[in-house]
Amino acid sequence: MSRALTIEVLYPEIANLHGDNANIGYLAQCRPDARVIRTGLTDTPAFVAGPVDLVYLGAMTEQGQLKAIERLRPHRDRIEALIDAGTAFLFTHNALEVLGARIRNDDMHYDVPGVGVFGFESTLRMFGRYNGKVMGTVPEVGVEHPVLGYKSQFSMVSAVPGVSALPGFLTADRGIGRNMSTDVEGVRRGSFIGTSLLGPLLIVNPHFTRSLLAQLDPNSEPTLAHEQFALAAYEARLSDFRDERRWHRFERVQSTC
Amino acid sequence: MLRVLLTIWAVKLSALAIRALGRPGTHTPGLIARKLHPGIIGAVRHPARVVAVTGTNGKTTVANLLAEALEAEDLRVASNRSGSNIAAGVATALIGAVTWTGKPKADIAIIEMDERSAAIILPGLAPDVMVCMNLTRDSIKRNAHPAYIAWILSSALPERTSLVLNADDLIASSLGGDSNSRTYFAVDRMATDGDRPSGAAVDIAICPVCDHTLSWEYWRFNHIGKAYCTACGFRSPEAVYRAHEVDAANGRLRLELDGESHPARLINDNIVNIYNEIAVAAVLDRLGVPKNRIVAALEHLQPPTTRFAAEMVAGVQLVRLLTKGLVGVACSRAFEYLASFRGRKAVVLNIDEVSERVTDVENTAWTYDADYEYLADDSIGQIVVGGVRRYDQALRLAIAGVDPERIVTVESETAAADLVELDGVDDVFNLHSVHNALSTGTPVQQRLRVRLERSTQAAS
Repeated sequence: MSRALTIEVLYPEIANLHGDNANIGYLAQCRPDARVIRTGLTDTPAFVAGPVDLVYLGAMTEQGQLKAIERLRPHRDRIEALIDAGTAFLFTHNALEVLGARIRNDDMHYDVPGVGVFGFESTLRMFGRYNGKVMGTVPEVGVEHPVLGYKSQFSMVSAVPGVSALPGFLTADRGIGRNMSTDVEGVRRGSFIGTSLLGPLLIVNPHFTRSLLAQLDPNSEPTLAHEQFALAAYEARLSDFRDERRWHRFERVQSTC
Repeated sequence: MLRVLLTIWAVKLSALAIRALGRPGTHTPGLIARKLHPGIIGAVRHPARVVAVTGTNGKTTVANLLAEALEAEDLRVASNRSGSNIAAGVATALIGAVTWTGKPKADIAIIEMDERSAAIILPGLAPDVMVCMNLTRDSIKRNAHPAYIAWILSSALPERTSLVLNADDLIASSLGGDSNSRTYFAVDRMATDGDRPSGAAVDIAICPVCDHTLSWEYWRFNHIGKAYCTACGFRSPEAVYRAHEVDAANGRLRLELDGESHPARLINDNIVNIYNEIAVAAVLDRLGVPKNRIVAALEHLQPPTTRFAAEMVAGVQLVRLLTKGLVGVACSRAFEYLASFRGRKAVVLNIDEVSERVTDVENTAWTYDADYEYLADDSIGQIVVGGVRRYDQALRLAIAGVDPERIVTVESETAAADLVELDGVDDVFNLHSVHNALSTGTPVQQRLRVRLERSTQAAS
């Protein structure tokens, strides 16, 4: 039997760049019964006091990252407990970096510890913005419906030396992963998904979104809002992503040898 | 010094050669200059005064109006108005403003500066005055976000540069450091303003001091407006240059110019151009132009080229509207303008990015920074979307609340003009982007014009 979903959007007043928050607007259209909690920067997150079905954090500025770290650090143990208990998280674009061990930004003169949930660190180069596409397989939907996405970022993410394997959100068939030297993109642990792909990931990838909806509420048949347009847009983009001429040298994983 | 002279000669000769071929020669000579002397922008002698004009929107208009007004003051003005606003264009303009021996031959330089290029341009240009119109979201790929552009500008600003800033923009108004003197311009509350932000792209919603949600004396669009914090007392800066009492019908407004109040001509009633007008007045005042002559100059300045054109065809208003793809904020303003028309409307929408049609795949994330919700209105009977990314656009429209039954998709951009239903409409809109203005915007306009004319002939 279907039940109402509770979705918590963290800090939408600062984490709203690049259309990322449209992910939640779309989920809310797919599940009109969902309760969406928008937690402000000076509020205590709802996930601290009780259960939520999905915690979302979207793209933000570099200063926004520092604010988010400051606000989330006191809740690190709670976040880890929720992840271990199977609560779904979706952190897109540079939101993922907030939960890492460290963010280093020499251009802006800071090097700060992150919330520390994951053993990776991010290095920002403010005059070295990377733009590129990513196409990769995720276990939820299989090879016939790869996730399609984009990166536009100052940062590259790498595992802290000595940290054991850090599973990725996806393995890039085309495009780069966490950094130029790997095809492993993002992070996943249980139902936590973090990816540096930006923008309306759930709108662009309807098959993945359907699987997410099914995961959030296994007892209901997932329904996509405006499914006809969503699937047509996905098929058109997939066709273009499979066109060799549209991939560039800088979108290849670089050999470290 | 010899290297500077050699660079000047090379640039002047190359410019002459390029112009002999019938091309403007405003960019390539600057590329050559920077190749021969990477620091040429700072090494070449400048006119006695240098003004930089930057910001996301309005910089071209403001730079042109300033140059025109200062020429009317009988000053010799150097500018890059016919060239590019990146480093090469600036270098070309500055070298064009010196003699073959390197001596300045202009009294003042008005330099339009691409805000993203500030790190390369500003240290050498070292402007006496820099005016920043606003900093709003632009290309995700190139400009990231407005705070990033503000950081670039502030990091590159010389300490002695005097700033003229938009008080209604809390990002632009934060530019500079303690050593930069500053003054502010603003447009007072207007009837169309709101009391709280709405829309997809609001970059300042919390107090920069204490993180609490800001309150607004007036909110205009994006993060533009006058804000205050009830928690800590923070307020938007007070502007000594203000535009108010805007009377669009009679083409007048009132300007407060650092202690003096003057009625003046309204050059253009678009809100961006009202900001442009008060900014021009503020800069002229800072340059020492007497206030009565500033007001007199405004009576004669040519209005800026607008991004729309309307014509009546067979009793229907056919509106061509530049809707800059990849920039959600610009699209929101176009959609808002479209929505302000009261009649029954039909829309042709072709805003794919041309450069990414074949060799890349456009990231349509920017459409979720744009307020397509303006188009979810019963007065719009149909929206025909053309282009490669038509399904993304259709999906965005549907998510914004446009009835899917009213959305038509077609691969050919120009064929969209043939599919739109024209019966019973008062206004037809032809929305296109920058890079498909000629390839799509013009033929769509022509096809719509012909169809409207034929519909009249058929009826008669």
